[in-house]
Amino acid sequence: MVGQFGVGKTSLVRRFVDSIFDERYLSTIGVKIDRKDVTVGSATVTLMLWDLAGEDDLAQLKVSHLRGASGYILVADGCRATSFDKAVELQQRIADQLGPLPFVLVLNKSDLRDRWEVRAAAIAEQGWPTFETSAKAGSGVNEMFLALAGKLME
Amino acid sequence: MPTDADQRPSSPEEPLAELRAILLGPDRAAWESMRQRLDNPSRRAEDVAGVLAEAVRLRSRVHSDVKLRRALQPLLEEALQLSVQSNPRMLADALFPIFGKAIRKAITSELDGMLQSLSQTLEQSFSWRSLRWRWESFSTRKPYAEIVVLRSLLYRVEQVFLIHRNTGLLLQHVAAPAPEGAAETKDPEMVSGMLTAIQDFVRDSVSGADSNLETVRMGDIEVVLAYGPDAILAGFVRGVAPRKLSRVFQDVLDSIERKKAEALHTFSGDTSPFDSCRPQLQACLLGQGKLEKPKSGSWGARALLFGLPSLLLLALLGWWIYSASMQRRWTDFAHRLEGEPGILLTHTENRGSKFYIAGLRDPLAADPVSLLPASLPRDKVEFHWEDYHSLVPRFVAQRRLTELQDQLQKRAFRFATGSAAIPPEQRFLLEDVGSQIISLIQAATALGQTVQIEVRGNHDPVGTEQFNAVLSRSRAENVRAALVTLGVPAARLIALPEDLDKETCSAVREEERMFCRSASFRVTGRVIGAQ
Repeated sequence: MVGQFGVGKTSLVRRFVDSIFDERYLSTIGVKIDRKDVTVGSATVTLMLWDLAGEDDLAQLKVSHLRGASGYILVADGCRATSFDKAVELQQRIADQLGPLPFVLVLNKSDLRDRWEVRAAAIAEQGWPTFETSAKAGSGVNEMFLALAGKLME
Repeated sequence: MPTDADQRPSSPEEPLAELRAILLGPDRAAWESMRQRLDNPSRRAEDVAGVLAEAVRLRSRVHSDVKLRRALQPLLEEALQLSVQSNPRMLADALFPIFGKAIRKAITSELDGMLQSLSQTLEQSFSWRSLRWRWESFSTRKPYAEIVVLRSLLYRVEQVFLIHRNTGLLLQHVAAPAPEGAAETKDPEMVSGMLTAIQDFVRDSVSGADSNLETVRMGDIEVVLAYGPDAILAGFVRGVAPRKLSRVFQDVLDSIERKKAEALHTFSGDTSPFDSCRPQLQACLLGQGKLEKPKSGSWGARALLFGLPSLLLLALLGWWIYSASMQRRWTDFAHRLEGEPGILLTHTENRGSKFYIAGLRDPLAADPVSLLPASLPRDKVEFHWEDYHSLVPRFVAQRRLTELQDQLQKRAFRFATGSAAIPPEQRFLLEDVGSQIISLIQAATALGQTVQIEVRGNHDPVGTEQFNAVLSRSRAENVRAALVTLGVPAARLIALPEDLDKETCSAVREEERMFCRSASFRVTGRVIGAQ
């Protein structure tokens, strides 16, 4: 899970994953690993989620944490256009680093849709599988995991 | 003007050849060129060289196809062998960055192990436990250091994780049966990922790109990590992990890397190819616990093994304490004898079960046997004394007193038949005897003694018994009175008739009877040894 600082990556998964590690791991070593089991067809897929510390002006995404990933979740805050730009930038860097990998774009904070800054046209322009989620309401999160697992299984 | 064709000799094949040239001319040239390329080995090699690299790259993308690798393997091995034979330095230079680092690491690890072992050996060197280990080393003929390592490092490998290095995903996980009170095994998949993340974090942040995190310690738990090209082996160890454990882990991981190289290269989430690695991982669940408690059935053997020597030891200890105590008493006794006047010790020693004392002893000195304390039995001491005269003043005075006493008791006054009067020729003896008695009294007084002198009258067989009894008393009283007259204290002189217990004088001749008519002296009332 990658995205700009403060887009709600950790909040997004907090209620939906199994975790044994404290969230302080994120601020100390920059990553926290969670687990999410989803069922795709008749198969159970275990997703090991590397929740990476958000990138901002000071902290750069650790590329070493992306090594070996099977897929990724780009998270942006619908209320912050810059977070979407960052997601686009990160997608490009990851693609350069790891080649084409399955991924989904998550636009978080759908419960505040009336305040969204990210334009629908900009999203459609990318042509990525996109999910609108609300960490607060819990909507769209399971669908997003299910879709990613499906793409990984393809 | 005639053409060339006109000049060529006509032949039935010519039209066919011309036709062939018209129809196939350009292709024939190409075929000819192709034939020459195929027939010419050098040109063919040039062609292959142009596409070889790309062909190998394309083939290597097909992971499941191992034919190319198998075909190249013997060639590469032979090429390496030839390279080493012809110019070993080139390969050595190429491998040095890898081997040099590995060798340094191995030496460091070995030194750490030695230091750890040495440190613990020193700590244990002078303990009862170390004595037990030395006995075990002696009885099993194993080096002492090996016994120390085997018995002193208490640890237990509780969990082993085989982790795919590239993805951080868990390939296999084994755990030892959890003892009562042990920590619960948490989600191994997440632990595996987090270990990889921490490894990345440390490498990126602290150690530099080429280093690996080898151990992590938290409380009494230590995580021991071994690294291969495609996998990581991590063991959670409770207690003090011996340095050799890292080597065990590394050997197991190397073996897995060799056997599962293909599966590791092509790993995409399916861990089933690594199920067969579980026995190897379980072999890493090592531990060195406390020594097992003896079985209940071995009490007899234990009693024989430990009880008998203990009893012997106790008996020896008791005997030693008793001997030391007796020796001390004998020594104290010898010191007491040395302080006794008139005794000089020349030699003391233990002779078997007896204590031997030799020396010089004045006959007037105290009897050593009487000085023996009740705690020292008489039959356990053997004395050997040589007589001598001590110059201790008390003994000198004592001897003088005895001498005076002997001299006095040899004196006697003679009397005429039937007479109690001191004959005139005997009177000259009075002063001499008187002075002797006074000297005797003075010598006794100096020694704190009181003496009395009996003056005994004696008679010959002539006359009646009654007459002779009166006569003998009169003779004694006359001598006493004469001596008192000369200054001898009257209280010290007692006049007595003849002692009835004394043998009666039976002399027949006058010369013999003369000796029976006398007054003699006997010293009594002395307190021998009084101060």
